[in-house]
Amino acid sequence: MTGTRTRFDIWFWLTAALLVALAVFLLYPILTVLSTSFMRKDGASGWAIFFSDPKYLAALVNTILLGLAVTLFSALIGVPLAYVAARYTFPGKALIAILPLTTLVVPEVIAAQTWLMMLGNNGLITRWLADVGIALPSFYGWFGLTTVMTFIYYTYVYIGTLAAIRGFDGQLEEAAQGLGTTPMLSRWKVMVPVILPAVLASCLLVFTLVAGNFAVATILGHRVPLLSVMTYQTFVSETGGDPVMQSTLASVSIGLVAAVLFLQRRIVARGRHEIVMGRGVKPTALRGLAAAGLALAAALVVIVSLLPLVTVMAGAFTFARGPVMQWGRWTTLNMERVFLNSPDPIINTLIFAGAATLLSIIVSTLASYLIVKKRNALTPLLDYLAMLPLALSGTVIGIGLVMAFNTGWLILTGTGLIIVVAYVVRRLPFGVRNASATLYNMPNSIEEASISLGVPPVQSFFKVVMPVMLPSIIAAAILVWTTTVAELSASIVVYSGGRETMPIQIYRLIDSNLMAQASAYGLVLVATILIPIVLATTIFKIDLFASK
Amino acid sequence: MIEIEELAVAYGRTRVIEDLSLSIGNGQFFTLLGPSGCGKTTLLRALAGFLPVVSGRILFGEKDVSRTPAHQRDIGMVFQDYALFPDKTVFDNVAYGLRARRVPEDSVKVRVGEHLERVGLAAFPDRRPAELSGGQRQRVALARALVIRPTLLLMDEPLSNLDAKLRVQVRETISDLQREAGITTVFVTHDQEEALAMSDMIGLMKLGKLEQVGAPVDIYRWPVSTYVADFVGGANILPVDLVDPLDEGTAKSLSLGSLRITATVPRPLAPGRAFVIARPEDIAIGPSQSGSARIMSRQYLGDLTLYKVTLGDSLSISVAQHGPAHDRHAVGEQVSLVFDVEKTLVVAQ
Repeated sequence: MTGTRTRFDIWFWLTAALLVALAVFLLYPILTVLSTSFMRKDGASGWAIFFSDPKYLAALVNTILLGLAVTLFSALIGVPLAYVAARYTFPGKALIAILPLTTLVVPEVIAAQTWLMMLGNNGLITRWLADVGIALPSFYGWFGLTTVMTFIYYTYVYIGTLAAIRGFDGQLEEAAQGLGTTPMLSRWKVMVPVILPAVLASCLLVFTLVAGNFAVATILGHRVPLLSVMTYQTFVSETGGDPVMQSTLASVSIGLVAAVLFLQRRIVARGRHEIVMGRGVKPTALRGLAAAGLALAAALVVIVSLLPLVTVMAGAFTFARGPVMQWGRWTTLNMERVFLNSPDPIINTLIFAGAATLLSIIVSTLASYLIVKKRNALTPLLDYLAMLPLALSGTVIGIGLVMAFNTGWLILTGTGLIIVVAYVVRRLPFGVRNASATLYNMPNSIEEASISLGVPPVQSFFKVVMPVMLPSIIAAAILVWTTTVAELSASIVVYSGGRETMPIQIYRLIDSNLMAQASAYGLVLVATILIPIVLATTIFKIDLFASK
Repeated sequence: MIEIEELAVAYGRTRVIEDLSLSIGNGQFFTLLGPSGCGKTTLLRALAGFLPVVSGRILFGEKDVSRTPAHQRDIGMVFQDYALFPDKTVFDNVAYGLRARRVPEDSVKVRVGEHLERVGLAAFPDRRPAELSGGQRQRVALARALVIRPTLLLMDEPLSNLDAKLRVQVRETISDLQREAGITTVFVTHDQEEALAMSDMIGLMKLGKLEQVGAPVDIYRWPVSTYVADFVGGANILPVDLVDPLDEGTAKSLSLGSLRITATVPRPLAPGRAFVIARPEDIAIGPSQSGSARIMSRQYLGDLTLYKVTLGDSLSISVAQHGPAHDRHAVGEQVSLVFDVEKTLVVAQ
């Protein structure tokens, strides 16, 4: 409310400018997708075809089933792990603290790839088990999809549950025990209802991520038709794409994710009243067999989560002849090939992700500042639009951008710019939410003090608001960077020849079964992600998860 | 001279202040006093330029600043939450306004040093706000606002985040510095004690309007309404029904339940409902042991005793007794009450 001198001040026009940009690069593509789905192809609309052809319905049902399965397994790992981490100390507990990082550090393509290197048709474990006479089911399909996605997404349940348990007042539990119930029963009766909304909300988040997942789905889902993969395949099909069907499939995925997000919001809103903020319970130190058992179980989860990192490192330096990995025979050949023969994917990634991070930080800082501090008639719309990409999978965003900008007044298809735009749009909610969190905690008076001392509003923003926001801007920049360099689902839709990024290149190499070469790019990708994180947390002491 | 003429200020569509006029003399310490929601902070923010003027004018001297943006009004402002720049040192916080005015750095050094000296923080120029106590932070904020020698100093409840002891200390610092610098000051508070202690003039606000403007002694001694009397100092407010009109003057006789009292009427009154205002310390418990009043409870407070006295069935009156043997009356005792003629007022509302 500060500095609102007239209704049409500079902040109003900045809001309007951002809205126009979002309308062009977000709303217009999505509306193009939605409206195209109602167009007719051979006399029937996309929706009529969707509901009459069992292959489409199968994809929808499979996506929902996979979502449910992964959500269930993620909860089975994440919830007990969070409970143990919150309530007990045991040897090796510090290891669990690094879990949230694994989701950031290990790109989905690499997770899928390394699991394949272990359990795929040619995998290390598969062959070793075959030697002793045990035949594993094929990893391409439900087995692989569920396993890999569970180990990628359980950390979301873990983080959500941990926060809820820590916020829960242990005294309530003690009070219930004092009233004469046994410890287990009082836990069940008192704590479960209180933390349930947070657990459910994180589970639903996992569901939306599974529904939108492309990287793992496309690498491992050859025999299981899934919505995201089918949407992509319809888009790239050799007959030159099918605008109506790809739009319909994209619309179905928007509807599915939006419905689940809507449910999630309601649960979160209700849960807010139910969480009793109080002092958390001091963790109990465990000894003996229980401690050893827990330590072992937790270590197992952590090891499995970090396995991709080890595998990709080993793979990058392992000699390979075509698809056959010669484990134990070390070489630097793969790395040399990456850096000397075809460094383009690395350079492309750095350029596109760098530009997108910069742009994303500017847009999300400005947007959150307007939404939180300079409310006007337009800011609620801005808030709403900034959160819209949450309901859109990368594939949908990519298809929308291609359909909107391959002809007409603004042609972006075939440029690097469309990749940058796709990145920025995808990460927008993330950046805005991060920046808003800091702004809500900053009193308006700091800015007003600056203005009262004679510094004009816009300069005041740069002189006093920006410095206070800087640590969180840097944290957000790093998070946007790490998730952008690993981005596959939107970029693979919008990229054109010569503009491959590392994840795209890795995906193509996996598809050709060239795992060593893929590992070499994977190692560079992981380094690209890890270096800024390490720098930020060790040198600049920035808490990356402060606003989560 | 600050002149406010028929001012209206709104938050969105709600008018918070309407038709408010006020003039504040040069160098005056003017306090806007009132309960929360009375519009005092709104008026302050309008003076600062953080809220647009809907209609009316604000003049700083000869200059109409009604449409001047905040950063061009040449004000100094002190906030309730200090509003120090957290990333800057004490020195840089105080120097901020001078640097914005492009004062040469060597004279910045001198003036900042001088002001830090005055608020007793010359020893900590390199500390950051997080390393200071609440009282120290508010002193830095004060120095930061004063160092630019503003036309007008605005303070928005600057003491309310401090504990009781610090509040008195910082209060004295503010008063001393303000007097020394002679800067016209508008101070917002809901604390009547602060207002009485610090101000040259007090403007008591009620629902977006100025209920009474006057020197502290006048506000306390001559409240224009029961609202003022109640808010500043507290008083017994006793309804009376007048049969005949009352002219202004002293020693007017009227009946209060079974009691005949004499009181002062500051303004003529029409027949109908009126109110007697009597502060607890302006009522004496008379020598008679057979009066119509009866002591219901007493609180011994050391230097005084506070009695709750009923008169008839319905009237309950607080009486404070000072002086020797102020605690001599017992609960249940029948007593007579003597109202101070000069200090007991009758007002219309």
